[in-house]
Amino acid sequence: MQVERPVKTRLWLLLVGLVLIGLIASGCTTLGTQPKGWAGGEVTDETLFFGSVKGEVIALDASDGSRVWEAPLEAEKSDGGFGCTPVSAMVVIYGTPAVAGDSVYVGAYNGIIYAINITTGEAKKFYPEEGELEAVIGGLVAVSGKLYFGSVDGVIYALDVTTRDTVWRFPTGSKIWSTPVIDSDTLYVGSFDKKLYALDANDGSKRWEPFATEGAIVAAPVVYNDTVYFGSLDRHVYALDAATGALKWRFPAEKWFWTKVVAADNLIYAPCLDGKVYVLNAETGAKVTEFGLGSPISSSPVLVENLVIVATEEGRVYSLDATNQKQRLLANIVELADEALLIRSPLFASEGIVFVHAQTEKHGSLLYALNAVTGIDLWRYPVSSN
Amino acid sequence: MIGQLWDVIALQPVMNVLIVLTDYMMSSFGLAIVALTIVVNLAMYPLTMKQIHSTQALQSLQPKLLELQKKYAKDKQKLAQEQMRVYRESGVNPAGCLVPMLIQLPIWIALYQSIIRVLAWTPEDFLGLSQYLYSWPVVYSALPLAEKFLWFNLAIPDTYLAVMVGATMWLQQKMSMPVATDPKQKTQGQMMLWTMPLMFFVLCLSFPSGLALFWVTSSVIRIIMQYLVSGWGGLVISRPGIKIRKPGQKKAALPEAATEADIVEPRSEAEKGLEYGESGGKRQDRGGGYSARLRAIRRQSGRGKDQRRKGR
Repeated sequence: MQVERPVKTRLWLLLVGLVLIGLIASGCTTLGTQPKGWAGGEVTDETLFFGSVKGEVIALDASDGSRVWEAPLEAEKSDGGFGCTPVSAMVVIYGTPAVAGDSVYVGAYNGIIYAINITTGEAKKFYPEEGELEAVIGGLVAVSGKLYFGSVDGVIYALDVTTRDTVWRFPTGSKIWSTPVIDSDTLYVGSFDKKLYALDANDGSKRWEPFATEGAIVAAPVVYNDTVYFGSLDRHVYALDAATGALKWRFPAEKWFWTKVVAADNLIYAPCLDGKVYVLNAETGAKVTEFGLGSPISSSPVLVENLVIVATEEGRVYSLDATNQKQRLLANIVELADEALLIRSPLFASEGIVFVHAQTEKHGSLLYALNAVTGIDLWRYPVSSN
Repeated sequence: MIGQLWDVIALQPVMNVLIVLTDYMMSSFGLAIVALTIVVNLAMYPLTMKQIHSTQALQSLQPKLLELQKKYAKDKQKLAQEQMRVYRESGVNPAGCLVPMLIQLPIWIALYQSIIRVLAWTPEDFLGLSQYLYSWPVVYSALPLAEKFLWFNLAIPDTYLAVMVGATMWLQQKMSMPVATDPKQKTQGQMMLWTMPLMFFVLCLSFPSGLALFWVTSSVIRIIMQYLVSGWGGLVISRPGIKIRKPGQKKAALPEAATEADIVEPRSEAEKGLEYGESGGKRQDRGGGYSARLRAIRRQSGRGKDQRRKGR
């Protein structure tokens, strides 16, 4: 029996509707991306620890990249759904691990702090004892037997690494993605409430009234010559008196300052998402020069001797010489990997070697060890193939 | 290339307007979604009304087409010719409801994608947001947007809101549906009535509530528009002998396409049958129904648009 035309039309409409919904549903994975993480690493006693995009903390020999151990972090809960849930069941790591005593500590997107035995690689839940916090995006800082970090619940935590007790907690007005920094018993951290906080690292009391900017603060602050330098999403770099919190100067740019700045030779190197690194006078904030690198910079740079090493999102690693303000392409990671990749993890360095953690489609992620002066690819560690 | 063009001409403007609106709406992103959905709907009001009218006109021809189908069951060519004749004579374009929908579709997709991107439910999304922002200071100071709205968090799914999406979609679908006499048509109608609301309900259980809010607002606006055209439509339970007049029936009874056709429709048996239910009583006029429309055509036969105006 023939179906009449208007009915056919409606059936077609239904079909089109279903296809569109399918596209929309698939859009939740392409538009709203799944979290992958952008953890950096730390080198202690020639062993390198970093968080992978597979939810593991990996320990490598820093000299040759040979594996010491891999510690997969286990999720306590699995958020199911309909294939489109924003929270992955896999543990996702954004923050850089911190080493204290015989453990490596890392905060995860599932709101759990893990402790991994530095010798065996055995991972255990460290904090909280019951349940979980909200996501931990920023890195952890371990100083004097205490572990400091901020969470998306807006609270800065100070934990005793031996007893796992909460030494103090300080609530801010919004999420914390920034990694805290500690200098002279003062903890500095930025918040999504657009303020920079200075707290006594011993008891969490305020050193001075939080300094308000006009945008959220994601970047970790840097303390240099009694001044706190940090970038904000209001497109400014700020310099505050570390003792009083008074504004010394601020410098405007085109886009967000997402990463921490580097201070060297009385100069501030401030990478920006507009693809430039602004070199500013540390005292006055006056622009000395700028380096146009052609792609957004969302991974924190690192200082190796007098070279500032910066990576762009699209995979080029540059060395900027602080003494003569010259830039040089150190390595093109895209060419080395022979595939498209993304660099968002903070760079880290040890003994003249720069470590670059890049996310690739084929491998998941690759960790490159480059000679900081020559750019020679010393070794690489592909995460998924191991 | 096309993706970049789409971002520049569609996505970026909508995203930035959403953020600015949030700033003006007491920093409430939820209110901004509602406001922008209303504004976009108002801007597309003529198109939407045209689409509703065209759909109604198509539905009103359904009984006549059914009749033809029975009559020419064995002669497909003749059936096709007759169907085309009916469309031509009634001034209804079978694709009339598709064209406005196709024009609206990119706008809805842009709005949908913008909400997804501005909500930025992962750190990667939030970082990616920066490339879409205009250099207006207000855009930078408004971010990050507050996720709380009423009882729910706009960035995570909410069951109550998902139920509201399903319910409002069902209502809107039901209002726009004609009462089918043919069992097969009835089954298809039922499928149509439940499939979309159920699907959106399920999707909303895993989508951020911001999107669900957008769909609820859109559905409520569509319900209002549908009400203006056809009253409660398919929601009214048909009772023989009771005639319910829809709001603004005199004005809205005739689809625009049909009013301009100026056709004198011969009163056929099939047409007569439409005015009376099986029980023999007067068929309920659900507003914009077939009989009302044909009566209107007859009233206006032989007169142009201007003449009709003068005649009032």
